Amino acid sequence: MLEIKDLHVNVHGKEILKGLSLKVPPGEVHAIMGPNGAGKSTTSYTLAGRAGYEVTSGEIGFHGEDVTALSPEERAARGIFLAFQYPMEIPGVTSMNFLKTAMNSQAKLRGEPELDAAQFLRRVRAAAKELNISEEMLKRPLNVGFSGGEKKRNETLQMALLKPRLAILDEMDSGLDIDAMKLVAEGVNKLRAPDRSFLVITHYQRLLDYITPDVIHILSDGKIVLSGDKSLALQLEEKGYDAVINKAA
Amino acid sequence: MAKMVSLDNLLANAAVRRAEATPWLGALIGEATEKFAHVGLPNRRNEAWRYSDLSKALHEATRSESEQGAAPTLAGACVAAFENGVLDESQSTYGAMGARSLRQVLAENASPFASIIGRVNGQPDHPIINLNTALMEEGLVLRVPADVTLATPLHLRFNWRGGEPRSEDGRHLRILVVLEDGARATLFESHDGAPGFATVVTEVRLAAAAKLTHIRLENFTDAARQTAATLGEIGEKALYRGFYFSQGGHFARHEALLKLAGEEAHVGVDAAYMVADRRHCDNTTIIEHASPNTTSNQVFRGVLAGSARGVYQGCVKVAKGAQKTDARQLSRAMLLSHKAEIITKPELEIFADDVKCSHGATAGELDASALFFLRARGIPEAEARAMLVEAFLVEAMDAVESEAMRGLVANCARLWMRRHAGEASHVE
Ligand SMILES: Nc1ncnc2c1ncn2[C@@H]1O[C@H](COP(=O)(O)OP(=O)(O)OP(=O)(O)O)[C@@H](O)[C@H]1O
Ligand SMILES: [Mg+2]
Repeated sequence: MLEIKDLHVNVHGKEILKGLSLKVPPGEVHAIMGPNGAGKSTTSYTLAGRAGYEVTSGEIGFHGEDVTALSPEERAARGIFLAFQYPMEIPGVTSMNFLKTAMNSQAKLRGEPELDAAQFLRRVRAAAKELNISEEMLKRPLNVGFSGGEKKRNETLQMALLKPRLAILDEMDSGLDIDAMKLVAEGVNKLRAPDRSFLVITHYQRLLDYITPDVIHILSDGKIVLSGDKSLALQLEEKGYDAVINKAA
Repeated sequence: MAKMVSLDNLLANAAVRRAEATPWLGALIGEATEKFAHVGLPNRRNEAWRYSDLSKALHEATRSESEQGAAPTLAGACVAAFENGVLDESQSTYGAMGARSLRQVLAENASPFASIIGRVNGQPDHPIINLNTALMEEGLVLRVPADVTLATPLHLRFNWRGGEPRSEDGRHLRILVVLEDGARATLFESHDGAPGFATVVTEVRLAAAAKLTHIRLENFTDAARQTAATLGEIGEKALYRGFYFSQGGHFARHEALLKLAGEEAHVGVDAAYMVADRRHCDNTTIIEHASPNTTSNQVFRGVLAGSARGVYQGCVKVAKGAQKTDARQLSRAMLLSHKAEIITKPELEIFADDVKCSHGATAGELDASALFFLRARGIPEAEARAMLVEAFLVEAMDAVESEAMRGLVANCARLWMRRHAGEASHVE
């Protein structure tokens, strides 16, 4: 359960989120849509605990705990996962090594036993296969030289292996062709579970044809201005943000 | 309290050494002493020592806070062990590969090495090499005959225990390695502990088609004061592969002065330095392309934390007539703290027209976005930093072909990161 209350966030001294409130119950998929610069990525970075995203007031409740003071790694260990709009390229660190370190770090932070090498390999291979990620790609440095689609599949792989309780997908569909989008959406749908919720950030109705949301929120100028069911996406597609937001205001 | 290193003392001792020496050595010492007396211990008024003031460092008190680990052992290697600058026969096995102690060679009236020692890529005006020649006593000499490949590496293990100079003149060690045509060898130098004041000069002469792999692993504690030089002459189609790893010291400098003397000679140097606290680490190279169709490639990667200072001076000289030279140099530095500093000074002196020379230098902080990415996946900050630092250095490490030696280097790097990777500033 994610419960954001009246969140105000400054970036470089400028207020970007201006009283954002949002509740995502376990098992639900919520979508956030909104025009460029509305604060969608800012919301996702703030939830993940990125330095420089300063919470000036409000709170981020996650399963009953305010996580605003926690480090990114502590939030990750509690089950918050951010799939990046632009996944980072990290030369010198292989995907394999990265996945292993991430999984073991989270296990350690949670006080669970680490996976042994064989268990780890089995899990990675199975999950990679479903996403059409080759062994060879796993041996390469993380995301270096990967296409947009490969990077997003890699993010999905990380999500599948880390099994978060809340997955925030920041424009999972950007830069993907239809086939790649279907593959990623399938990956997400497989992970839908009663104890896992999703926050899907997107510009377009298109992704929501594949990942069906329970609720759609429209974010504009740092605030949720309208929430509704999935028919809201169709309205937006037809009339554009301006008309829908103005009507709501 | 140890006495300060003084020029008068050094010269007086050189005079004694000269008087006792065999004629050929006496002449060599005489020549070197005279030149050294002229310049004295280098300080920042000497252009080449501008950023590394040895004279000043020798007058400063040293602090010894870092712990000294055991000197590394390399399975299967022949060892020449130097304890506080003195060859310790009881720990040494170098005889098995035909190497001899310098002391023995210097005492001979007609040594086959008399015409080589002090003459490999001669640097008549280099104050430290002259000082070393004037006072050298300990060291090792190795000649590998034509077409012989030494199956095991020669491990020169320099181990210094105690932070004050054992002798007020310091210790001056000389290594000579001669590879005849087509010979191959691997030289592994390890430097541990804290020499009060040491100079180490390694001369390597590679005849046609010879190949030398030269690995230097400096693992000093923070009181160490050493300045070292590798002098090389690389013959036709010969290959020098250098890998240098250093953590600096109170004063730690290494100069690679390499001359590509024959056609199609090649020099490749990969270096990594990791420097923390108030340490000083100087890497200086002068690569001289003296023949046509010679190639050189040097990549230096440094990670600096605390108030450390790194210096990279890379000079490439291309002689008249050395056409088709291909010389590359690259310096990359990662600064983990705002107080750390890297000074980079590339120089090109080119007297031929058909050449390719490139140099590049970058200095930056740890990538904040990459760091956040790793942390957002649950990797704790210190570990994420260490991963990124390791990723930055991994290419340099991978250049070490021998798995055993790569392991020793990686181990030093890992220990360093455990101590220092987490202490960096929080920038964003
Ligand atoms: N580092 C920064 N410094 C200053 N302003 C910033 C910074 N990052 C974001 N902003 C501003 O914050 C606002 C919200 O940006 P954000 O990236 O959250 O928008 P978005 O809704 O994700 O847009 P898009 O649809 O283009 O991805 C924008 O006006 C942007 O210019
Ligand atoms: Mg965005």
